[in-house]
Amino acid sequence: MSRNLPKKIVLIAFFAVVCAIVLVPFYAIALGSFKPGKELVRNGLNLSFDLSVMSFDNFSFLFTGDHSYFTWFFNSVLLTVVQVALTLFVSSFVAYGFAAYEFKGKNFLFICVLLIMMVPFEILLLPLYKLTYDLGLMNSYSAIILPGLANAATVFFFRQYLRSIPNEIITAGRVDGASEYGIYFRLILPVMKPAFAAMGILNGMNSWNNLLWPFMVLSDENKYTLPIGLKTLLTPYGNNYDLLIVGSFFSILPIFALFVAFQKYFIDGMTAGSVKG
Amino acid sequence: MVKRFLYSQKVAPYVFVLPFILVFLLFWVYPLGSSVGMSFQKITLGQSASWVGFANYAKLMGDGIFLKAVMNSVVYMVLTIVILVPFPMLFAVLINSKWMWAREFFKSAFFLPALTSVVVAGTIFRLMFGEMDTSLINSFLGLFGIEPIKFLKGQTTGFIALLALATWRWTGVNMLYFLSGLKNIPEDYYEAASIDGASSFQKFTRITVPMLKPTTIYVITISIYAGLAMFIESMMLWNGNNSPKNIGLTIVGYLYRQGIEKSDMGYAASVGIVLLVVAMAINLAQLAFTGMFKKED
Amino acid sequence: MKKKWLVILLVLSMVTFLWGCGKSSSSGGKSSVLEGGASESATQLEYWTFVELHGQHFQKMLEKWNAAHPDKQIKLKVTVMPYDDMHNKLSIALQTGQGAPDIADIEVGKFPDFLKGTPQLEPLNDVIEPYKDTIVQSRLNMYSKDGNYYGAPTHVGAALAFYNTEILEQAGVDYTKIDTWDDYKKAGQQVYEKTGKYMGTADTSALWQASMMLAEQGKDFTDDAGNPVVNSPELIKGLTILQDLQKSNVLATIAGGQPDTEEAYGEFNKGNYASMMMPFWIMSRFVNYMPDLKGKIAIAPIPVIEKGQPRSYGGGGTGTVVTKTAKNVQLAKEFVAYAKLSLDANIEIWNTLGFDPVNMEVWSMKDVTHNPDNKFIQYFKNNPFDVLNEIKDGIQQIKSTPASPTINNVLGTTALNEIFEDGKDVTEALNEAQKQIEQQLQ
Repeated sequence: MSRNLPKKIVLIAFFAVVCAIVLVPFYAIALGSFKPGKELVRNGLNLSFDLSVMSFDNFSFLFTGDHSYFTWFFNSVLLTVVQVALTLFVSSFVAYGFAAYEFKGKNFLFICVLLIMMVPFEILLLPLYKLTYDLGLMNSYSAIILPGLANAATVFFFRQYLRSIPNEIITAGRVDGASEYGIYFRLILPVMKPAFAAMGILNGMNSWNNLLWPFMVLSDENKYTLPIGLKTLLTPYGNNYDLLIVGSFFSILPIFALFVAFQKYFIDGMTAGSVKG
Repeated sequence: MVKRFLYSQKVAPYVFVLPFILVFLLFWVYPLGSSVGMSFQKITLGQSASWVGFANYAKLMGDGIFLKAVMNSVVYMVLTIVILVPFPMLFAVLINSKWMWAREFFKSAFFLPALTSVVVAGTIFRLMFGEMDTSLINSFLGLFGIEPIKFLKGQTTGFIALLALATWRWTGVNMLYFLSGLKNIPEDYYEAASIDGASSFQKFTRITVPMLKPTTIYVITISIYAGLAMFIESMMLWNGNNSPKNIGLTIVGYLYRQGIEKSDMGYAASVGIVLLVVAMAINLAQLAFTGMFKKED
Repeated sequence: MKKKWLVILLVLSMVTFLWGCGKSSSSGGKSSVLEGGASESATQLEYWTFVELHGQHFQKMLEKWNAAHPDKQIKLKVTVMPYDDMHNKLSIALQTGQGAPDIADIEVGKFPDFLKGTPQLEPLNDVIEPYKDTIVQSRLNMYSKDGNYYGAPTHVGAALAFYNTEILEQAGVDYTKIDTWDDYKKAGQQVYEKTGKYMGTADTSALWQASMMLAEQGKDFTDDAGNPVVNSPELIKGLTILQDLQKSNVLATIAGGQPDTEEAYGEFNKGNYASMMMPFWIMSRFVNYMPDLKGKIAIAPIPVIEKGQPRSYGGGGTGTVVTKTAKNVQLAKEFVAYAKLSLDANIEIWNTLGFDPVNMEVWSMKDVTHNPDNKFIQYFKNNPFDVLNEIKDGIQQIKSTPASPTINNVLGTTALNEIFEDGKDVTEALNEAQKQIEQQLQ
């Protein structure tokens, strides 16, 4: 084994360097969260550890100041949880239909799924805005959740995943007298856990970071999500950077905790999933 | 009666796919149709729209700023693929090698940037790439005696900042895709190759790369989509949709500028349709080229 | 079986949630409703702005309004959004007729886009009428179309020169002797030699300097018919002068691209640039964002190309509008006129915001303009209104036309950057800009 030691050291050193580069922006923003916002705009974000300009002011403002940060935070958490749960449920429901049955029009519909994956959502912004208005859904979370309910990429992933599940489960369920839906709820849902974990994380990331569409449909400050709220702090006069930087730093923490908790499922789920081709 | 009907094996599949059909019709087909319609119209504030045939498209073809936006989006897409396929693949292989320590730590560290919102990441990078000599990148370059660079004011340097942001955020995600792809390669292949006396490099090019092809296709497909539709990254990096000399303007940025900032929804719709056609064409070509369709049932 | 019910329950509760948030608008978090001493029965109006301070001005005027009009009391819900976001959201809201506030601020650079087609704004003619003779007519015209006034102006925005006397003294320069750009050049070269600092900025992201150069020569970005002419000999001449100043180390580009940005405040505050030529309202930025320069800044008329040319122009501006979807159009209109155009409002605009009011009578009200307790008066070495009154009759107007947003965009993002960042030939850059503008306006 000692023959491999140099290789090991080179490898670890390489990753340590890359990792340091990846983490530098986090270190910079962590430092920045102790500096006055104006300082950051005027001097740029940097690694100077200058105690004379650093203080806990931003943190005390975050927790005691007059702002809506925690409303936004709560909204984001709520919206992400609901959106992910509904999307996973509906998408798996649909995916099961595609995976378990042969029916007329199936191929056509599945091609539609693939097509949606290739249509940039952004081009629908304007007509979708009009539609949302016509449906009376402006300024509501429904307007954000509904268009993504049967998420094409998620349906595609689940369908690939379900194809690897033996047909015997379904046949056995039918023999036991379970209804078609009973099979889905009682036999299929439980075995999809790894796939749910993987798609849960991906959809969760998208939902948590989603900006453009929610920003267009939400107009009430009390309904803003975190990215929208943080973006509204980017006024030209730098006076909100205090909250922006410390709020940005703080917003990374919960989703990172989630990722660390579910990381195993994520990798397992991805492995079991779609990209077998 | 209804219950019997709904529960029959013939009807059940349609019940299962019904949510998709509804969402598809309401939130995709209908808006897409009206987008196509709008692209042939002149829509003025407070007045009824009038049909103008291909006028919007004709204008697009001579619109220098639009062509600049298309150019930016395509270059960005190509460069992100050039960076974000080979490097994450290499990292995945290295991290998976048996000499690696602390795998879980490195995986998490690389994945961390993907969890930051674009708003946050874009702001961090804008401040890091500031033109002042005290900003992070310039103070680093200063160590080597390089004069401060106005990153966000030049085409090349602006793209460096934009690509740095994309690389930072997506390397970890793509690496995880490749890691999951690696798990599907049976260990015997490598053992057999070892017996035949293959070097590590040969194993990588002869076994790993070909076996990762499905993953690679998947990553390229989403990168084409994400690259062509990029907008928020640019908006956050330049703190608005008006970068100097339009160096950061993208197709979606132009759509946004025309449709929302300038209230010209008809023209904006035609920008969207062009984007749709370009994205579809590139993706279908890519899939055909890589032989994806042959495998699909 | 238990599990199945659990799932159904979960689904049901989520559906309820979806319905719930579609219908009700839950509140919580920070409330930004200004009461202004209004009673319970007051009408609540919604107001969008992109400048926090404008909200403060409205708060003061709201108190006065509610006290004076007990039968028409108002509560004002103020929403402050970033510049681009506010205008974009307002634009979408007006295009779809949904979600617009009752009252909004629209910046002059964006205003023409809101006047396209049939404006979704209420004409303010009847409520402006009582004040019309007291205010500068040209500021009203900026927000008008076909004889209708859609926006209530905030200020005149007369451009002035602001000199950092500390730097000038080090270099042995007397700013009161600077009348022409030639004088400015000599002074600037002296400053650069003696201190290594730049006399001023070469702006790439805003048109203040370009407008100033045109105004001095009695020209505009558009001809009388409103067609864009950005490659006019006058603009070429003006920008060539600036480019020459840049080449002589008198001017330099600045982080942020122009003086009115946070980055530039930092540069000025550190004393890296010795002067700027900006509209009157930049005074409030000095006071709020450049505290280190207090007591060092002197105000003077801007230099001219040849003696005898006009020495100022009105720059920037915000028109306050009432939208067609306003809940109580007449009330909103009356309040806007009162809060922006009455004599009280004009005095408050100076006191709170530090702007030069559109009612020029205020300019000569000594107790208002020379109030020693005023923070703007305290900050500067000399009184701004003394300078204003000196140049009062020479304040030019740069027109706002349907082409203006496109002109601003093409010059402010492309042409000025090419000229001052890349050193491109002025004539060439402006010819290209002209072509691009014409193409965009097709």
